[in-house]
Amino acid sequence: MLSILVCVKQVPDAGRAVFDAKTGVIDRASAGNIVNPDDLHALETALSIKDAGGARVTALSMGPPRAREALYEAAAYGADRCVLLCDPRFAGSDSLATSRALARAIRKLGPFDLIVTGREAIDGNTGHVSYQLSELLGLPLVTRIHRFHIENGRATIERLYGHEYQKIRAALPLIFAVGRDDNRVRFPRLADIALSSGTVVEELSMDDIGGDAAEYGLAGSPTVVVDTRVFSHTRSRNPIEGDTAEKAEAIVQRLKKHGILRY
Amino acid sequence: MDLSLNGTQLMVRKAVRAFAREALEEWAGALDRESRALPPEVTAEMGRINLWGIQAPAEYGGAALDSISYAIAIEELSRVSAAVGLGVTVHNSVCLAPLLKFGSAGQLERYARDLASGRKIGGFTVTEPQAGSDAASIRTTAVPDGDRYLVNGQKTFVTNGGTGEVFLVAATLDPRKKAGGIAVFIMEKSMPGFEVGKIEDMMGMRGNMVSELYFNNVRVPKENVLGRPGDGFKISMQALDMGRIGIAAQALGIGMAAYEAAARYAAGRRQFGRPIGSFQGVAFKLAEMKTGLDAARFLIYRAAHLKDRGLPYSVESAMCKRYASSVAMDVCREALQVFGGYGYVKDLPVERYFRDAKITEIYEGTSEVMNIIIGNAIMKEFERM
Repeated sequence: MLSILVCVKQVPDAGRAVFDAKTGVIDRASAGNIVNPDDLHALETALSIKDAGGARVTALSMGPPRAREALYEAAAYGADRCVLLCDPRFAGSDSLATSRALARAIRKLGPFDLIVTGREAIDGNTGHVSYQLSELLGLPLVTRIHRFHIENGRATIERLYGHEYQKIRAALPLIFAVGRDDNRVRFPRLADIALSSGTVVEELSMDDIGGDAAEYGLAGSPTVVVDTRVFSHTRSRNPIEGDTAEKAEAIVQRLKKHGILRY
Repeated sequence: MDLSLNGTQLMVRKAVRAFAREALEEWAGALDRESRALPPEVTAEMGRINLWGIQAPAEYGGAALDSISYAIAIEELSRVSAAVGLGVTVHNSVCLAPLLKFGSAGQLERYARDLASGRKIGGFTVTEPQAGSDAASIRTTAVPDGDRYLVNGQKTFVTNGGTGEVFLVAATLDPRKKAGGIAVFIMEKSMPGFEVGKIEDMMGMRGNMVSELYFNNVRVPKENVLGRPGDGFKISMQALDMGRIGIAAQALGIGMAAYEAAARYAAGRRQFGRPIGSFQGVAFKLAEMKTGLDAARFLIYRAAHLKDRGLPYSVESAMCKRYASSVAMDVCREALQVFGGYGYVKDLPVERYFRDAKITEIYEGTSEVMNIIIGNAIMKEFERM
């Protein structure tokens, strides 16, 4: 049976949060907390493997004590084991310090055949963690997974990357980074919700995973946020003139220009 | 005393709300317009997430949740589609629940798993053309015939009648004994002589295939009597105690949908240069709605809480149904008023809420019957003093 670890982060509910467009800062107190949406897709990936051939799914979250709620929710979706990586010395960690702590926790809890993370979190939007885990754990990272199949310790993965399609084979263990386009998250079963209230969340502190306080938290975080900006996407209308053939040609040229059509 | 929901209850609310929005909402309008049932794949998905066995034990494939979680689930479904909420609450509370409570080992083996998984949809029927509130006057008869009963008669206004396959049917063994002569039979639609009559063309709840049922010499095995033969009336009344919590939760869900639609509209609709919600005439309506809905919710939770503690809850159940259904009707009427002309056209769902709400004052005991139950309890209490 495969052993899978899923990284789960608790984030402010962006849909309900009050967002200061000037400073780009989320007023965390105004929002409830949710499981980061991409992480639910990561969990779905793990659960689909569990459904297909059996797997033991461990959910790992780093965060303050209230991040326990995210783990209960992971259990409600079907995670078998829940671990909270929690220590005041982790407070203020950037993505690198976070990945360092997660990697050490994963080493301690493992070995795992597969580690699944979300592509990015909706609070920081760095998308760093899966790449950093890949470096720190020395495991290959696979992104943009359209479809996959795992058999006899090997994964066959179909990737859709931009306008390319790839089919690759890789030996486990691997790291998958999963986003919202990669699968459809199931609705949790009420029976699993009922059982999840009895979930025991294991706790790991810095002392359990090792390392020095200077490697974590603000002290261990090289990232400095200089500026945050809110991007806005605008659409513009570009009428194409001419007869049908000319219009078609103009569209083809544009699609080629943007790399959507190549040949 | 803790009036907040626990973690499980909160998660049930979140999960059912998400399911209702993402999987049911697209159907809600069509079910009503076309008076059709949910597609089988949606019904099956509801089975996978245990909505057809919300309180059934895990051994039968249920979620074994408490009654407050049950009420929450029905409220959330009904917010989006009251007709779906109806099908679910009737199946769970007045078919599966009495089966689990009074059923023999053989009956449970035979029916509980199919019902709790939603492979078979269930119903419950006492009402006949001549026997509504006076439930003990039913004329459907059951006559012993060897190791079977021959059941003959007609039932009407049967929720899930068109889609259901297993029904708890009240019939009289001896009309002279009135309530004491009634038995509840587990009947299957596949039994020869069991016929579905016309599907009712109703004002609301049009997504539920409410129908007549006809029994023409249906041979029902004696082992299909639920509980003891003379206990049918008691079993039915107990089933309705739980059923009413479900109907109250359904009424609450309809009311919530109407209230939220009205509040959103009042905040966005501008007349005389300002949002209509900033006029006291509209804001007061919203205030009344919210207060009534909260009061209804707590009456429902109290009845559910008493049930889970194993305490008597018939009167509290009647009270929550009596109140929640009135609130739903009031809220829908006022919400429609907030929408003005837009509330009266079928482009928006407010008129559907209005039509759906009315029946909650009628089925599973009218408001007047609820008042009889409550009034009798009051008299009993004060006569003793």
